[in-house]
Amino acid sequence: MIEISGVSKTFPARGKDAPVLALKDVDLRIEDGEFLTILGPSGCGKTTLLRMIAGLAEWDKGEITVNGTPVRGPGPDRAMVFQAFALMPWATVRDNTAFGLELRGVPKAQRRERADELLTLVGLKGFENRLPGQLSGGMQQRVGLARALAVDPEILLMDEPFGALDEQTRRLLQEELLLIWEKTRKTVIFITHSMEEAVLLGDRVALMSPRPGRILNITQVPLPRPRAAAVDQIEGSAEFAKITANLWGQLREMQTIRVHAGEEPAA
Amino acid sequence: MTAFRVQDYPLKNYQPRGGGPTKAQSGGLRALLSRSPWTYRLIVLAIIGGIWQAYATAAQLLLVPKFTDTMIGVVTLAINPDTWVAFMISNQALVVGFGISVVFGVLLGLGAARFRSIEGFVDPYLSILMVTPMAALIPILMMALGLDLSSRVVLVIVFAIPVIIVNSRTGVRQVDPNLIEMATSFGATEREIWVKILLPGALPAIMTGIRLGLGRGVTGMVIIELLMVAVGIGNLILRYQGNFSADLLYAVVILVIFEALILVSILRFIERKVAPWASQTVLRD
Repeated sequence: MIEISGVSKTFPARGKDAPVLALKDVDLRIEDGEFLTILGPSGCGKTTLLRMIAGLAEWDKGEITVNGTPVRGPGPDRAMVFQAFALMPWATVRDNTAFGLELRGVPKAQRRERADELLTLVGLKGFENRLPGQLSGGMQQRVGLARALAVDPEILLMDEPFGALDEQTRRLLQEELLLIWEKTRKTVIFITHSMEEAVLLGDRVALMSPRPGRILNITQVPLPRPRAAAVDQIEGSAEFAKITANLWGQLREMQTIRVHAGEEPAA
Repeated sequence: MTAFRVQDYPLKNYQPRGGGPTKAQSGGLRALLSRSPWTYRLIVLAIIGGIWQAYATAAQLLLVPKFTDTMIGVVTLAINPDTWVAFMISNQALVVGFGISVVFGVLLGLGAARFRSIEGFVDPYLSILMVTPMAALIPILMMALGLDLSSRVVLVIVFAIPVIIVNSRTGVRQVDPNLIEMATSFGATEREIWVKILLPGALPAIMTGIRLGLGRGVTGMVIIELLMVAVGIGNLILRYQGNFSADLLYAVVILVIFEALILVSILRFIERKVAPWASQTVLRD
């Protein structure tokens, strides 16, 4: 279980820019085995929040605990999937997948075996010896997912993992992620700026608003599981349309209020 | 006032192209040229040789040998042991100086990327070295170090090391920050980040710096022999110049170019071996 209580963060003033209140009193509880999506416009601090949970960013006030232990840095219980894939261009797909295992000192034969197992899971069997530069974006992110799963974390932290992919590839990967998640039932925190993606994947959708970044509300998604085999039905359902429309309404509100207040909308 | 219309301002360089399927390229010369870069290279060489030959034949100048005579000179020198001795002497300075430049240049570059203190120390001198006409340092070196090998070695270093330092530092700096964050998130220590992310990531840039440094080192090696310490290759050049043996003089220069080309090709080969990911094709799914 992840508990975030009263977390605030201010980025100090830089040059002429005033200090920015990036996050204000964020409270959030994520249960074990839950798939939580965090939805929000650009600049609402959702990536900052995820990096804090990952132990990659610091905060000023409040506390984040994983299973009761305060987060003080990266840990073996959490693994991250990055928007920009973050694959080492000089290492083969297999070596990239085994990177987390290599850092833990797993012997070569075992990490090879484990990497190949996960590459099969994400549909990259036969590509083990390729370099990332020889793969398409979708395939590269499959490697990113396999690398995170390879260290068998309790919690997967996914930072807009499909944001850099084209629509068709994204839909395929959403289905595969659902399939994998329904098999492994890990706790997932998934950042996105797409309402459809947030609703399709999540058990709950946490809506964030910018300046200061805070959790505006949390929507329960009552769509049945497993969803992987029924994506088309789900997306065609009235329930799905209602929830996404409601979320979009709120997101649009965030932008229009800002315009009317004479402020630039977030880029 | 009439309304402004974009159409009133046509593009000056716009010509509609014909539609339809692309025409197959005709064979003949085009096919020959597309076969290999060497075809172009040999054609360019033949043109330069031809112009050179025509000019030298027409001008009849004492110090402009014919292209054919120069090529004969190249062969003459190549089979003369004295030439090889001269190249060995000169290359002593290159081997020692370039070796030192690679080791210390890479270390200083990496250090400058990692530690502000090293960067603060290296930066001003690096800027000076990058803009100073190196040849101007030669008399100073001579006075300080004398006429022996050490002054030649130092000159090679002074020529070669700045570009190696700068490229190594830039190489580390331009490593994708996402990779550093990724490694940190999987629990890498600072040492592991250096060994597993920064060094491999900077390797292509370091190798490029070394290759550029080699070219500059060869320049330094020849320049000091021409201007001050008349040994080795520089001595050969000065001797043939004094004898008005223009064909041999040109031949020496060509041999020096050959040497530099061979060394650079070797480095390029190593570069491709150690950093093969620098050139990649993308696979679609």
